[in-house]
Amino acid sequence: MTVDQIPVTGRTDPAARADRATPAGRRPRISMTARRHRAFYLFTAPWIIGFLLLTIVPMAYALWLSFTTYDGISPHWRYVGLGNYTELFSDPQTWNSLGRTGLFAVTSVPLSIVAGLGLAVLVNRPVKARGLFRTLLYLPAVVPPVGVGLTFKALFDQNSGAANGVITLFGFDALGWLADPYARYVLLMSVLWAAGNVMIISLAGLQDVPRELHEAARIDGASAWRTFRSITVPLLSPVLLFQTVTGVIASVQTIMPLLLSPDGTTAGVTALPQSNYLYMMHVFSQYFALGRYGYASALLWVLFVLILIVTGLIFKFTSGVVFYNVDPEAKK
Amino acid sequence: MHPHAGASLSRRRFLTLSAAGAAVGTAALSGCAMRVSGGVSGGGETVTLMVKPDDISPELVRQAQKDTGVKIVTVRHDITKLIGMMTNGAPPDLVRGVGATDAPYFAARDVMEDLDPYFAGSSVLRVDDLDPVNDLWRFDGRTQGKGPRYGMAKDFSQDSMYWYNTALFDEAGVDYPPETEPVTFEEWLENAKRLTRRKSGQTTVFGGSYNGVLTPNLLASLTAAAGGSLFSDDFSRVDFTTPEARKALNWYIEYGRAKVGPSIIQPDPNTWDGPTFQANRMAMSNSGYWLGGLINADKKLAPLARLAPAPLFEGGRRVSPCQAGTGLWMPKKAKNKDAAWRVFEWFFGEGPAKARASSGWGIPTLKSLRPLMPAQEDYQKRVLKVQNAELKHFSVIAYTPYATADSLYALFNQEAPAAMNGRMSVDTLAGRLNSAMNEQLKRGKEQVG
Repeated sequence: MTVDQIPVTGRTDPAARADRATPAGRRPRISMTARRHRAFYLFTAPWIIGFLLLTIVPMAYALWLSFTTYDGISPHWRYVGLGNYTELFSDPQTWNSLGRTGLFAVTSVPLSIVAGLGLAVLVNRPVKARGLFRTLLYLPAVVPPVGVGLTFKALFDQNSGAANGVITLFGFDALGWLADPYARYVLLMSVLWAAGNVMIISLAGLQDVPRELHEAARIDGASAWRTFRSITVPLLSPVLLFQTVTGVIASVQTIMPLLLSPDGTTAGVTALPQSNYLYMMHVFSQYFALGRYGYASALLWVLFVLILIVTGLIFKFTSGVVFYNVDPEAKK
Repeated sequence: MHPHAGASLSRRRFLTLSAAGAAVGTAALSGCAMRVSGGVSGGGETVTLMVKPDDISPELVRQAQKDTGVKIVTVRHDITKLIGMMTNGAPPDLVRGVGATDAPYFAARDVMEDLDPYFAGSSVLRVDDLDPVNDLWRFDGRTQGKGPRYGMAKDFSQDSMYWYNTALFDEAGVDYPPETEPVTFEEWLENAKRLTRRKSGQTTVFGGSYNGVLTPNLLASLTAAAGGSLFSDDFSRVDFTTPEARKALNWYIEYGRAKVGPSIIQPDPNTWDGPTFQANRMAMSNSGYWLGGLINADKKLAPLARLAPAPLFEGGRRVSPCQAGTGLWMPKKAKNKDAAWRVFEWFFGEGPAKARASSGWGIPTLKSLRPLMPAQEDYQKRVLKVQNAELKHFSVIAYTPYATADSLYALFNQEAPAAMNGRMSVDTLAGRLNSAMNEQLKRGKEQVG
């Protein structure tokens, strides 16, 4: 029996075992399964080691910190058990910032998905210079968040920003865009500004929708809207689910308000307009402005658990409306 | 079998010799580190500086290597990175810090090197030549301004003094402030209101900026100017409800409400006064003498800009503190202390210090460098006269060792906007600040022990 003929499953019959018995003094031959396992672990080792060192170890360390009063430098920090967690539940800033974060997520995620999908549908049409439009619409997503934050801060400054320059040209009074109640809209605009990211993924999804289904619908007399609603959207549902889940996770971790913060100091984050003081801003201020590493770690762990729960709920409630266009044989 | 001379090294013997060599080398290096040199020349060592890009340019880094023989590696100043490096036992050799607030905080946590022995042996940085502002870098375990020296300021200002733009005063028809006598804070604010210009809801000219260097420090200075103290005697508490602290807080909130200058509810996108003042969009800026560095370099602005004494409260006392005293300190676990001290001497007493002194970027922190302060032009002579008169009123306002300036500022920022927007009374604000800041100070005190 040659190596190629060795069964790849773990089942072996005595004859096969006898065939594979190694003569004394020779290196034992390794089964294909073992080779495949070894290759798998060898190839994935860099990622697994990175994951352990850069994700699991820091998470475990943060979990340990969350039971202490550690501030990074003082000599007499102590173990407080669940003290940080109980304080967290009685901290009004935690609940307020969490509520604002939830509101931000349920507003920004659907809006950016709809905007991204809309743009994808437009640039999926066979028009002239389609590539140029795709590039131009994707361009803002390439700008780093720091650049977007600083640009938006300059654009929407009350006294020198271009936004008020336009408004006052038409005889209106300048608005305090970076203060309540307008700050939340500026933040939302900064998210929609990067809708090109969503557009690219939706575009890839749209190009996977079989053309013959659209043609069949057209022959059956379905309108464009009906075709979009009954064919495109269901076939795009796994992509939309992916965008929803990643969008929710990204929105609860958003740092844009930090970049729009009124002054450049670490403590400036606490001077944010209330509507933009999101959960991560609260974590940031506890961590870096107040030096409460333990308490901030507890806040992060609570956020981690909440993300798990929310993601689980999204999967549960969308299981009936997401259709996977997968080859049944491949699924096995 | 015993090894003999000339025999090839076995692997085991090589490892044994290597280990012994490493041990001897480590002991020798430790011995070097224990020695305190007085201005020794560098021997090709490398010193890591944690600074901001403005502190030391790449050209200066190259110059340092020429002048001292010490190679400098710079790391961008970041408190989180600093804590990480200290936790790992590999701190930078010199770290940027704000003497007014950082010195007591880090010294109380016993992570700073006592530099007294180095100063004692230095011919470049003599203790009798040090300006009193360097006392901000002293801490005796309880009070700032006394005890060992942990660092030194690179330059300083009396940060409650303010610059004013005579052209904007002329345009608004407001009299210039007296040159050596202070106005009251109430008069300053009144002037700022008259100097502010608005159009269609936009402020085109800020009447005056009065934010100090660090807000907690500013509030402590304002309270001192009102005749009181923000901190309790043991620095473990603040009290914003005393008449003096309340007066100070009330004035600062009124400043914010009046929207005559940048504040947390009306931020300046430039984040500091320099560019706005330079653009003739700010009539007064309390940046102290330090801003002269920028003003002197602008030939149009320099003749228009004048310096004025720090204001005082009616019935209060005349104080004119330094709110920063930014400089360098050496971590206790720094690896290359002798070479770091050589760089320290060079930075604070040689070429860079002389260049700073003659540029107008702050008052030199060595008395012997004072003659270098710019005084060629008439307007520079006028500024220097005001500054020299103000030095008589210099005072050190001690800061708590139990909290960082950032943490108290963060807590102030959480509560103050509501008061500045008129949604909260100053009395309520004072109570809330007491509650939040005292909780933070309590935690800090527990952790210092």
